[in-house]
Amino acid sequence: MIVGERKPLLELKGFIEDYHKVLIVGCGTCATVCFAGGESEVEVVGSALRIAFLREGKEREILEDCVTRQCEPEFVEKVVQRVKEEGIEAVLSLACGVGVNFVAGQLEDVPVFPGINTKFFGATVEPGVWVEMCAGCGNCMLHLTGGICPVARCSKSILNGPCGGSSDGKCEISPDVDCAWVLIVERMKKLNTLEHLSQILEPRDWSTSRHGGPRRVVHEELKPVETGNEQE
Amino acid sequence: MRVDSAAEQQVDAASCVAACPVQTDTRLYVELITQGKYEDALELLLKANPFSSVCGRICHHPCEQKCRRNRVDAPVGLRLLKRFIMESTVDYRLSRRERVEATRSERIAIIGSGPGGLTAAHDLAEMGFAVVVYEKWDTPGGMLGTAIPRYRLPYEVLKEDIDDVLSLGVELQTGCEIGRDLQIDDLRDQGFAAILIATGLPESRTLGVPGIDSGGVLLAIPFLRAVGLGDAPSLGERVVVIGGGNVAFDVARCARRLGAEKVTLVSLESQQEMPAWEWEMEEALQEEVEISYSWGPKAVFSEDGVVRGIEMKKCTAVFDDTGRFNPRFDEGDVSTLLADSIILAIGQRGDLTCIAGSAVKASGDRLEFDPETLATTEPGIFACGEVVTGPGAAVEAVREGHRAARAILHYLDTGELLKQPVTEPPSLGDIPLDIAEKIKRREPIIPELVPAEKRVRDFSEIERGFTEAEALAEAKRCLACTTGALADEEKCAACLTCVRICPFGVAQVERTAVMPQEQCQACGLCAAECPAAAIALKRFGTNRMREEIGNIFPRMERGEDLQPLIVSYCCLFEVTSRKLVRAEPSAAAETGVARVMVPCVARLSVVDILAPFELGADGVVIISCTEGDCLYPTAEERLSARVQKAKGVLDEIGLGGERIDHWRTEGSAEVSWSAFWEISKRKLAALDGMSPAGMEVGT
Amino acid sequence: MKSGSNLERVLTAGHFAVTAELGPPMDCDADAVLEKAKILKGAADAYNITDNQTAVVRMSSIAAAVLIAGEGLEPVMQMTCRDRNRLAIQSDVLGAAALGIKNCLCIAGDHQSFGSAGRLKGHPGAKNVYDVDSIQLVSILKGMRDEGQQQGGDPIAVRPPLLIGAAWTPMGDPVEFRPIRLKKKVEAGADFIQTQGIYDVGQFEEQMNIVRGMGLHERTAILAGIIVPKSLGMLKYMRSAVAGVSVPDELMERMSAAKKAAGDDKKQARRNQEEEGITITVELIEQVRNIPGVKGVHIQAIEWERKVPEIVERAGLMPRPDVEQEKNAPDEA
Repeated sequence: MIVGERKPLLELKGFIEDYHKVLIVGCGTCATVCFAGGESEVEVVGSALRIAFLREGKEREILEDCVTRQCEPEFVEKVVQRVKEEGIEAVLSLACGVGVNFVAGQLEDVPVFPGINTKFFGATVEPGVWVEMCAGCGNCMLHLTGGICPVARCSKSILNGPCGGSSDGKCEISPDVDCAWVLIVERMKKLNTLEHLSQILEPRDWSTSRHGGPRRVVHEELKPVETGNEQE
Repeated sequence: MRVDSAAEQQVDAASCVAACPVQTDTRLYVELITQGKYEDALELLLKANPFSSVCGRICHHPCEQKCRRNRVDAPVGLRLLKRFIMESTVDYRLSRRERVEATRSERIAIIGSGPGGLTAAHDLAEMGFAVVVYEKWDTPGGMLGTAIPRYRLPYEVLKEDIDDVLSLGVELQTGCEIGRDLQIDDLRDQGFAAILIATGLPESRTLGVPGIDSGGVLLAIPFLRAVGLGDAPSLGERVVVIGGGNVAFDVARCARRLGAEKVTLVSLESQQEMPAWEWEMEEALQEEVEISYSWGPKAVFSEDGVVRGIEMKKCTAVFDDTGRFNPRFDEGDVSTLLADSIILAIGQRGDLTCIAGSAVKASGDRLEFDPETLATTEPGIFACGEVVTGPGAAVEAVREGHRAARAILHYLDTGELLKQPVTEPPSLGDIPLDIAEKIKRREPIIPELVPAEKRVRDFSEIERGFTEAEALAEAKRCLACTTGALADEEKCAACLTCVRICPFGVAQVERTAVMPQEQCQACGLCAAECPAAAIALKRFGTNRMREEIGNIFPRMERGEDLQPLIVSYCCLFEVTSRKLVRAEPSAAAETGVARVMVPCVARLSVVDILAPFELGADGVVIISCTEGDCLYPTAEERLSARVQKAKGVLDEIGLGGERIDHWRTEGSAEVSWSAFWEISKRKLAALDGMSPAGMEVGT
Repeated sequence: MKSGSNLERVLTAGHFAVTAELGPPMDCDADAVLEKAKILKGAADAYNITDNQTAVVRMSSIAAAVLIAGEGLEPVMQMTCRDRNRLAIQSDVLGAAALGIKNCLCIAGDHQSFGSAGRLKGHPGAKNVYDVDSIQLVSILKGMRDEGQQQGGDPIAVRPPLLIGAAWTPMGDPVEFRPIRLKKKVEAGADFIQTQGIYDVGQFEEQMNIVRGMGLHERTAILAGIIVPKSLGMLKYMRSAVAGVSVPDELMERMSAAKKAAGDDKKQARRNQEEEGITITVELIEQVRNIPGVKGVHIQAIEWERKVPEIVERAGLMPRPDVEQEKNAPDEA
């Protein structure tokens, strides 16, 4: 899932400093699971901001809400309604960057500020620890590397690794980062496919990744059907 | 916002509640004790059972038998906790007595002032009926006053309950036997719209063995009544009691107290089959009552018409194949016991004198009776209690009294009979063994009885009730069944945090999280950590707590002396008296510390810790229980991590994480908490430039 | 002859090759480069110019290579994958070849975070490129040289005559995979290999056994890398902070003893350690020379280039062979 971390509280306070009625909106999916922007975190941020403004003697109305996902029009509609009806001046979204983009797009004339620094696609490797595993390159090659992604998990995205910097199973950039290629070699040994690594992987076509421009996926069969035309 | 939806959910009754014949909300009164709300607990008790003082002494506590803590170590001392409530609220109980004016035109006559009859009288009086209770003896109470010895149930205790009922305006006529002094038809003529027969089983059965008419052969009930009136006959040195039930043991133990050196109880039953309560038998053995199992009376031998002893024959079986009482003997296996007195406690019988001359039908000494409608053969005449059910416990008589009152009300409202089948309410199953293993063991508090050699000297009460500290400590053992966590499936993101955090392995996630109530221990750790704020606890509502703070701690009402204002969350389970539990709003203004008692502070979420600052508090103090004492595994560590997080938030916004202090109780709460508050106040005063006494520093 | 470079001819002639390293300055001071060139001249068969080594911005390898070529030294340019995409790589290679550079070492390049270490601020926030990795880089260069093709397929009429080199860390993690990776580099087209610094000759020998078993020593020229130790502190650093380098205790003890022998005299201590370092270097060169399959040494005297002639002399490798007469035209293949 998408993993992010909440921005420092003073930065958030800075965003909403000049607005008197602000709505903090959390997201019930990825942001909840990685403890960055679920309803609980919304409560903490709301409380912290109210305390901070109280301390400065400033009057602010800081409201809280949470929707199932901020990347879906039907769920975001709730927020749009609320903003209109309650005259909310600014929205602080604790969803990932997608949510912020999307909600901002739905609200248009009300500023939407990002509460989270979105970091990566990752998995829970142990409770409380999430690690990047996918770079969204658009052309998955995990069948070639035993299910461990060198694009996301090697600091240099080397496809014919490891480089000479690998030491004690760790990447040269930090002892906290595993050398993905050590992992790949170990894995492929277990899978009895190590000999495949003798083959040279050619330079990649990066155009399927973000380097090729913003991407889209379309399922034609899901497009709304015209009403009045009941026949399939 | 977190919604306390759990509180509104229908859940099964806790096992103790389901086991109680009158469904007393036992779990709740234990909770009320922990909160120091003894008066609220009393109201709860009396609503279910007007004989709560009596039951607090002598109830056979089926609730304890079913207490789910049995599987962990020992049941919670529920009866003694009930006794504690009654003993702590004597004055309050007196103050709440109020005569209920009759709002209904009908008058109701009740024959018999035992627990069944008086409970019905209580309910009917509250419903607005005029009630008259007829009692053939001079004092009310039925078997409670007669058959139960004073060392188990002092008369003043019984009087508390009886007087409460009478204070409603129920009229009591003692010394008036219906069927002799007055007939049922007379009652009809006097305009009673309904009559309830609740005469119980006042007669002792006797035996048809030779010599049974000798002098010195007594019957149990008359004997016990005489003892209770202080008019006991002299029994001599050696007493034989025939019988194996509770009455037989009561008789035997009274005999010891009357000076009999050798008291032998002879029962048909073998040791395993004895019908008496185990604790009765144990106490009797301690008092040196001897028991001869599996013997039956063959003949009483006497000299000059006075009993000398009893010849017994071996009982080879008590029940036959169909389970009916049908004792068989080996006539050849005999034995003899010398005795100066013999007392028969072999069972009781109803006395149907009251229906003499009326149309109410009976067969033998049994009324013809419908157990579902409680109706006799005559319209408007009902019956309840042991007179129709056979022997039962006091609390069961109370239940029957309630049913009788409902039956009579329905009859008077509609002219119809009300079917009230007795059903067992569903209750939780046992705690799964793997969870029971993880629950912290706590020895039950069992006040010691008076030593046996002292007990037998007189009829003083042999048991003492809990002290307040003991009651609070014992109430802490309650597992609070059915008040656990409920996850809102709409909000749950299936993040698995609750599954990983639950110290008992209870939380599960398939699509969304579920905490099966038979397993949940209501520790609240999952609710505090849930990132989706999807879990609420039935027992402890976060919103309720914030309201409480909002009530005690009005915003920014700093006193004239400018001392720092602190909200202190304190562990409820550390208190030894309720003085520390009940926070007076005025006390908070004086000391600057607003106390919020929390059943286990480990359930505080990060936002709970921050909330007081929104209200203008200068600091938050959290006081956990003594180190290593927490009821829930891992809770201390989880709380510490949350406190760190809250401190981090305050650091980020520049308020300073040092405004939050987390202490562990040391020794007594009363002493250490005051010390902690002082230290925290001083620190905060220095931070904000105020002196603890209130003067601004550095101005 | 693939490139006709001096290094290629030395190797082809069967001599034990010597290459040395020259680090360019962090500014555009051409004279500094020429100074170093003068010191090193004649001490090696070819000279590596590093390419933003350890992600620290220095004068470009190609530019400095041209400068030293002007002094009569044969350069080995170095190209990392970190700073250029495949277009820039190929473009620079074409330009380098046009300027007469005949040797190119292809390496991945240290991560840009390495540039901010010690007193240096570096550019830790830079984007890294790594469009291709070092093995792919080797094959790109081979494609350009032997197929006359750019990586994308477009033709290259006049092909760059390059001796293609790659790096090898024989004792890197995971150790048993390193020979396989070497093989990939050889398959991709590496003509010569310069290894990461070796101090533990025994371990290196073991890896070389495996490599010889795979026949790789005949398909590529392996030059053992020797990093000249200057002090005990430097050995400690090598051991703990440089991946793939292990230093045997014996060498540590020797350095330590040399330092202690000077007592409180710091200047003497430094001189002792430097002297011991040179001695160790010479010994290491002699030892690796005895390992079958090792075709030369690559001497790295970091910011100590002036010692290289002495080292080469003491190792008995002076003078360097003059292979002008063996000059051939590069193969047409």
